[in-house]
Amino acid sequence: MINFIYLTILLPLIGFLINGLFGSKIKNEKVIGIIGSAAVGLAFLVSLGAFFQTLGLPVEQRSNTVELFTWLNVAGLNIKFGYLVDQLSLVMSLIVTGVGFLIHVYSIGYMHGDKGYWRFFSYLNLFIFTMMNLVLGDNFLVLFLGWEGVGLCSYLLIGFWYDKRFEKGTVAQAAKKAFIVNRIGDFGFLLGMFLIYSTFDSLNFSEVFSKVQHFPVSETTFSLIAIFLFIGATGKSAQIPLYVWLPDAMAGPTPVSALIHAATMVTAGVYMVSRASIIFASAPAVMTIVAIIGLLTALFAATMGLVQNDIKKVLAYSTISQLGYMFLAAGVGAFSASIFHVMTHAFFKALLFLGAGSVIHAMHEQQDIQNYGGLKKYMPVTYLTFLTAALAISGFPGFSGFFSKDEILWYAFSNGNFIFWFIGVFTALLTAFYMFRLVSLTFYGEERFKHTQQHASEGRGEFENVPHPHESPKVMTVPLIILGILSVIGGFIGIPALFSGEGGNNFESWLEPIFKPAEEKLAYTGMYTHAQEILLMTISVAVALAGIYAAYYIYTKKPDIAGTMAKKFKGIYTLLFNKYYVDEFYEAAVVQPIQKGAEKILWKFTDTFIIDGIVNGAAKLIDKISGTIRKMQTGVAQFYAVIMMVGIAAVLLWLILGI
Amino acid sequence: MELSNLSHSLNLLLPELTLSIALLVLVLFDLIFHHDKKIISYVALIGLLATGFFVINQFSLSGFAFSTGNESYRNFGMITIDSFGSFFKLIVIVASVIIVFFSLSSDEIKKTSERIGEYYALIFGMILGMLFMISATDLILIYLSVELLSLSSYVLAGFTKLRERNSEASLKYMIYGSVSSGLMLFGISLVYGMTGTTNLYMINSLIQIPHLNLFTFSFAMILIFAGIGYKISSAPFHFWTPDVYEGAPITITAFLSVASKAAGFALLIRFVKITFVSYIDTSGFWQLIHVFDWKTLIVVISIFTMTLGNFSALWQDNLKRMLAYSSIAHAGYIMLGLAVLSNQGLTAMLIYFAVYLLMNLGAFLVVMLIANKINSEEIDDYDGLGYSSPFLAASLAIFLISLTGLPPTAGFIGKLYLFVALVDANMIGLAVVALLNTVVSLYYYVRVLKHMYLTKPETAIPEIKTSKPNTILVLVLLIPIFIFGIYFTPLVDLAKGCITILGL
Repeated sequence: MINFIYLTILLPLIGFLINGLFGSKIKNEKVIGIIGSAAVGLAFLVSLGAFFQTLGLPVEQRSNTVELFTWLNVAGLNIKFGYLVDQLSLVMSLIVTGVGFLIHVYSIGYMHGDKGYWRFFSYLNLFIFTMMNLVLGDNFLVLFLGWEGVGLCSYLLIGFWYDKRFEKGTVAQAAKKAFIVNRIGDFGFLLGMFLIYSTFDSLNFSEVFSKVQHFPVSETTFSLIAIFLFIGATGKSAQIPLYVWLPDAMAGPTPVSALIHAATMVTAGVYMVSRASIIFASAPAVMTIVAIIGLLTALFAATMGLVQNDIKKVLAYSTISQLGYMFLAAGVGAFSASIFHVMTHAFFKALLFLGAGSVIHAMHEQQDIQNYGGLKKYMPVTYLTFLTAALAISGFPGFSGFFSKDEILWYAFSNGNFIFWFIGVFTALLTAFYMFRLVSLTFYGEERFKHTQQHASEGRGEFENVPHPHESPKVMTVPLIILGILSVIGGFIGIPALFSGEGGNNFESWLEPIFKPAEEKLAYTGMYTHAQEILLMTISVAVALAGIYAAYYIYTKKPDIAGTMAKKFKGIYTLLFNKYYVDEFYEAAVVQPIQKGAEKILWKFTDTFIIDGIVNGAAKLIDKISGTIRKMQTGVAQFYAVIMMVGIAAVLLWLILGI
Repeated sequence: MELSNLSHSLNLLLPELTLSIALLVLVLFDLIFHHDKKIISYVALIGLLATGFFVINQFSLSGFAFSTGNESYRNFGMITIDSFGSFFKLIVIVASVIIVFFSLSSDEIKKTSERIGEYYALIFGMILGMLFMISATDLILIYLSVELLSLSSYVLAGFTKLRERNSEASLKYMIYGSVSSGLMLFGISLVYGMTGTTNLYMINSLIQIPHLNLFTFSFAMILIFAGIGYKISSAPFHFWTPDVYEGAPITITAFLSVASKAAGFALLIRFVKITFVSYIDTSGFWQLIHVFDWKTLIVVISIFTMTLGNFSALWQDNLKRMLAYSSIAHAGYIMLGLAVLSNQGLTAMLIYFAVYLLMNLGAFLVVMLIANKINSEEIDDYDGLGYSSPFLAASLAIFLISLTGLPPTAGFIGKLYLFVALVDANMIGLAVVALLNTVVSLYYYVRVLKHMYLTKPETAIPEIKTSKPNTILVLVLLIPIFIFGIYFTPLVDLAKGCITILGL
């Protein structure tokens, strides 16, 4: 199946073309949904086949390149359209196609009745197509192609309901914000790529990475490359300072939030950093920056998540926070732990979003958790799966998130230091707390929606005759159940050596060949005992349980505590509620100056005065010249012949003078 | 001449022979089928496809046909078959096939449908002339093929006789053609007088040892160049182009702008390379025999050609005339590839031609389809076309953008390879001039877009409906422009494999 890996890219493309070109003519929603889902489902099967085939190979033969054709060969730049099938890209493609397939199926139900049904599925397929290029490309340029492609799809899908309002602006504005913020990151990535090409004279992964290990290149160059690449990653993966687009990206349909803004696209930055692990390992200073940025993002996003009232917003901040964990792991050299968390996070976060979608569906587009409550008895499947995912993300022992998060925390301590670990654990406490605040306010307690639903005016549905909340149809709940199962058992492939004994961590040893060069370069030699590991693990479990209980106690048992707390710590509450005023700060410090500068300097002076002056001057000059030349075309044949003779005579004169 | 030699020669000439037979069949059918002239077009198509088949078959073949002179020179013939020639023949045949389809849907040609047999017979005469031009290596044959091409095109330029301009174009074309062919013949006679041969290979070996009067010889060469320059409409031999292009039926204009130009360029490249190159060095640069400075001449002429073409195109209000000037400018760009005098430059020229074929024919096709309906080629009549006929307007926009040379269209790739060749040959100044010219050209191409999309029409214009076959034809030209704009490696590989010119 390895040689057919291109099918995983081709099939979604075909799906996109069919639905994109003829979707408007296919009146049957089912057909469109099945075409879209089947394309991704088949791609998943191919990935699975390739995975098992690779599993059967000896370790040293597990990295295979499938070259399709030479794309560019101009002036020394040779780019092949090649796909790299190795341990890392297989994990990623299984996540993308697997979770992607479930979300496609879910969307069949969720998007039912939407006027842009075919458009939605064609965009989703296009997204899978570009995302697969991103994870499978065997050189930076194909990766970048996918990188830009997913950015485009993200833009298209955030703005899917482009004519709707979103918060203070419109959905289209949210889409633009995401696109522009991403462009800043992309610019960094592009600079990194230029630097890689000028340093190593190639963009091919295997060539660049082997040259990294043997070329005499200064650490400054490595640091520059790594920092540029990381700027790219902060854009795509919503890290400080470029995370601001992700909360606004929630303007898109919920399956989009689950697929693109939780499970797959936002992890592209983590994937890229892991793929280029050897470059980062060669720049230790940047590694520290990565770890600190990751840690700070995890903490800040978690604090902002504490007070949000929009169900999707809470999940968005939680995503940013979890992505922060992944960068923390990468920053302390635990690349496989970071990819492990990418995987488990894909399961439980996709599940959380889809569950939220199910709730929103039932509540007729109402997204404010203050208007939920007591939904447990109306939507048992959604409740149970949502609870599973919440336990997983909180790090409840035995659930998938427990293993991956704990591994990250352990490496933060052993490869990093105590402070990294401490902030990580504190963030875990916050995570458990805001997740169960969400669970409590949504599923437990009194039903608050009956009183408020008449006042609800936002959203796209009709609110006059709200029927009873109901469980979603099978096509939506089955993906929830599958993801629920994965959220529970998904962690068991990465059980730490502490529990599994001899075999060690399966997931880690599977990815080991990829990260070996980087790990050898970093050479962490911390000596720690199992006893320490168990101690730290116990603490983090205790913290998670405390967070869960506190949230349950405050929001279900004594709902009035929440109000008093908010009043008591009004300053902090307002600060958190307004997201540390970062959006306002960016508006004042970046957007306004650029707009003012663009208007006053670039437009009024540079553009109108200098550029227009030159352009108009040149145009006038050209106008004059062309007016003169035009007059030569008199239409008189004799005159033409004369000019011809003059021309020959001129050449003759030149000959006489020349020889 | 031995019989085996003859059969060998004829074997190499299969495409030309097929075409000649097809020409005869066309004339015969025209006489036989008085009433149903439709069949003539299909006969023409079949003839072209058969010729194309033999051309493709010849891609791996090479050799000399019709050796002249005595035994010791028998290796050099009047006609040379090589992959370079096959490439250009393919360009000509493809262009011809497309022109047949053009003619099928052109209103102008439909109005003269009773003379359609004559029309195709003349076109076939042109094609035959082009094929010989592409592979001729003997001055006499070169002259004959140029004349064969010219005589047919004079008639075709005034073929429809619908407007006064037709006859004017035809007459001007002929007067101008006679002058330049006279000059060319004069040059040939001088060369023959000095060297005693008309074979290019022999001239090459004779001038390796400088015992000729180089000045007279150079003069003769310039006269011959004038004849070729007129075919490719390079400055200062380009004046006929706008008048003829505007006056001739649009199918013929399109044909002249692509096929005739391709044949002219093939002849020019072959003529320069065989006559003047002494050897090709390891990095692919052609080392010229010191006769006179060809390189400077070509550089100066190409700069003049593209600048004159672009600047004159700026204020043209007639699209056909604008495209005529733009085709002059493109001839200037293509000549840059020759000015480099290297294999890389030649590759770039071949790529450019393949791309130019698609985009130029495409632009003419859309202009024709629009003219069929609104009976005008004036830019003001294109106002608001983007909204009334989105498909045609969008296609025209893409063809024009490709002609400008913007990515992701194939036109960009053509220019990219040309400029890279220039930069690699350390001719950066020239590359800058060409680039500035491209900027100027952007203005008049985009001006059409402005009229189609931004200017409000004075009166509401009806939608221009295209028939299915025409839509397909537009797409056939349009889709490769995108494909080659993104995935151009096959085209580049093909061009790289086709730069072999036999004899060096």
